[in-house]
Amino acid sequence: MSASNLATVTPLASAPLYESALLPVLQVRGLEKSFKKRQVLKALDWSVPPGRVIGLLGRNGAGKTTLLRCLLGLSPIDGGAIELFGELMLEPGGERMHRIGFVPQTFDLFPWMKIRAYLDFTAAFYTRWDAALVNRLLNDWELDPKQKIGELSQGQRQKLAIVRAIAPDPDLLVLDEPVASLDPQARRAFMGELLALMRAPGKTVIFSTHITADLERADADIALLRDGSIQFTRPLAELRERLKRVVFTRPDGWMHAPAVAGALKTHVLGEQAVLLVEDPVTESLQAFAERENASVHIETPTLEDLFVELA
Amino acid sequence: MKVAWQLWMQLFRRMPVLIAIANVLRLAALYFAFRWLGGATKMAPLAAIFFVMATWIWHIGQGYGLRSLCVPESFLLPQFRRRLLEYGAIDIGMWVLMPTLFAVVLRAPYLPLVASGFMLLAAIGLMMGCNRRAGLLIWPVFVLFGWMPTLFAELMKSALQSPLTPLLLLATAALLLKLSITPLLRIEDRETDASPLESTSFGRMQTRSAPGEPRRTGALGKRIAALYDRASQRAMDRALNAYKQHPTASRRMVLVRRLLLPHDNPEAIALRIALVAIIVGFYFFAVMHRQHFNPVIIGAYSIMLSMSRFPQLNIGMTRMRPNMADLYLTLAPQTQAEYQKTVSDALLVLVPISMLTALVYTVMGAALVHADDPWHMLFVAAIVSVSASLAALAIHMIGPEGTTGRTFVNFVLIFGVMGVYWGGYWLVDVAGYLIGGGTLTLVTLGFSLGAWFAAQREYQLRPPRFDAPIG
Repeated sequence: MSASNLATVTPLASAPLYESALLPVLQVRGLEKSFKKRQVLKALDWSVPPGRVIGLLGRNGAGKTTLLRCLLGLSPIDGGAIELFGELMLEPGGERMHRIGFVPQTFDLFPWMKIRAYLDFTAAFYTRWDAALVNRLLNDWELDPKQKIGELSQGQRQKLAIVRAIAPDPDLLVLDEPVASLDPQARRAFMGELLALMRAPGKTVIFSTHITADLERADADIALLRDGSIQFTRPLAELRERLKRVVFTRPDGWMHAPAVAGALKTHVLGEQAVLLVEDPVTESLQAFAERENASVHIETPTLEDLFVELA
Repeated sequence: MKVAWQLWMQLFRRMPVLIAIANVLRLAALYFAFRWLGGATKMAPLAAIFFVMATWIWHIGQGYGLRSLCVPESFLLPQFRRRLLEYGAIDIGMWVLMPTLFAVVLRAPYLPLVASGFMLLAAIGLMMGCNRRAGLLIWPVFVLFGWMPTLFAELMKSALQSPLTPLLLLATAALLLKLSITPLLRIEDRETDASPLESTSFGRMQTRSAPGEPRRTGALGKRIAALYDRASQRAMDRALNAYKQHPTASRRMVLVRRLLLPHDNPEAIALRIALVAIIVGFYFFAVMHRQHFNPVIIGAYSIMLSMSRFPQLNIGMTRMRPNMADLYLTLAPQTQAEYQKTVSDALLVLVPISMLTALVYTVMGAALVHADDPWHMLFVAAIVSVSASLAALAIHMIGPEGTTGRTFVNFVLIFGVMGVYWGGYWLVDVAGYLIGGGTLTLVTLGFSLGAWFAAQREYQLRPPRFDAPIG
């Protein structure tokens, strides 16, 4: 059973409607990307509606950074098409650049520049630039404007990259593991800023992270990148509502994992058989447990559990 | 204008010394131009020379600045390309239009030629700053100049009179600008970073990629880099196998050398020599018109080529620092001084390698120009290259890390070594192989051994540094 089956499931009526009349912020069709002979993205299709926080999940090497860089035109693509704000993204350019903020995975640019000089340089290009926000964040996050970028720690550089990305008040914020090097206080403060930014209408955030708690805090939609394509993009609440962790326990153990309708992933651990089941029917699971002389326990998985099972 | 101002400020932040020199030269040009305006017509050539130098240096700086600025992330800045274009227009205004207007006021002759010449000069400077390989494109002019001087003089005479020459110069400038800037405006996947201590003989200058700047390698460069990589991998495998069979201290040292100096194994050295032979062959083609070759120049050039490894070592060791922490933990030395000694001993292998390459280059040079006394050249090259390499290694190991200091040291070393070769050649010529050679050996080796032991002691006293350089 594969996680890709999730993509074919009809969304619940309560879920946000992706087929809404709103123009997607991002539309990807058949994206292909290879490095030498290694194909990283394979005919990837993806649509991101406006006004959502999308958490891009995937294992190490799944291609998250490559995907994000391709979306912004920072990495040439081998095939397919990317539309950003309704325009083809052949290369980064045009007025839409005023509406995009990006935090790269590692910020190793312009080490000879001082923070203030770098921000002034960047601000000169933008029509919108929230100088008050910049000053507040520099102060709150203890970044000395007179310090050279090369002297900053990785965490401080990441803070600077975040300040730089949100200062133009972007409509689309793309963040590549933005909190990986941040301490818990900074991470929390960043999430606070992110959620504040999201309160304005029409703002969209795509961010890749391995810290699933942040996605839960932001009530993000989850997009799973695996095997070179997006397996599904669904609201976290919907995932948690529909996907359940089912544990069958019996003293004799299990020769094979039990076959249950809707099971996406199964594995046997001694006397326990653990299944990730979509839309489980409690009565039929209990009936199955009785037949197999086993007990059954149904629990709501955490996002981390889901990631471990599906990614 | 805000963006243009910020881009302009970048130059002062990145290369303050270079820009200061360019501005001083420009002021000097202005001073002589005013003297010219006052009636001192003899000042005209001085004004022109200073302005030419100022334009050239300023635009080398512009090119270098552009190289470090044009990283993929910069293209996310709104209208980045357009802003660059506007900035270019302002630059043309300052360095082409204004001086041309000044030339009009001065009633200088050949005005269209002067204006297009300013443009070409700026384009050449920019090209040399932002695309080192494109610098090779100006070689054909020198080949023509050297090979057929009469034809070249005739061409120049006709060109001065032809109304088409300014157009040709402008077209050439446009072509050079396209060749220099287009690769910078292309967004490509980042190439894997090479070892900071690589030595492929391509990056002869110390100005390697700026921090954060993507490596820009053409198809041929990629193929050659792959050859080097395979050679280093094989050398590392051999060293590992030898160490596994008999883990002795000397084999451990070989392993450290394979890690630190990936392109200083026999295969890679042979490849480097072959590549240099091609470049030297081209150089020979460029100067083959000459009837008489000065063996001292050929020998000094060969030594200079072999010495170009050491400036790379200086900057490479600085950039290597964050990776050196891993080596430190792997070696697990008893003291920091022990670790420092291991590193300095590992680097000492560069001295025989440098001597070997100097000798090979001298043989090539002597053979190409049919030198009268190749043994004389080789004899002096052997003595000078050992001493010079030892001294260069010593100085670069503990020398300045800043760009200005490093550049100064490089100039002193290169011209010093060429001078010593010149003097040594004369000494052996006058006093013979035994007396002259002995004296040369005594003086140069005495100096370089003294420098080496002092540098090694100083290096061992210093604590190892693992922090990343600022930029």
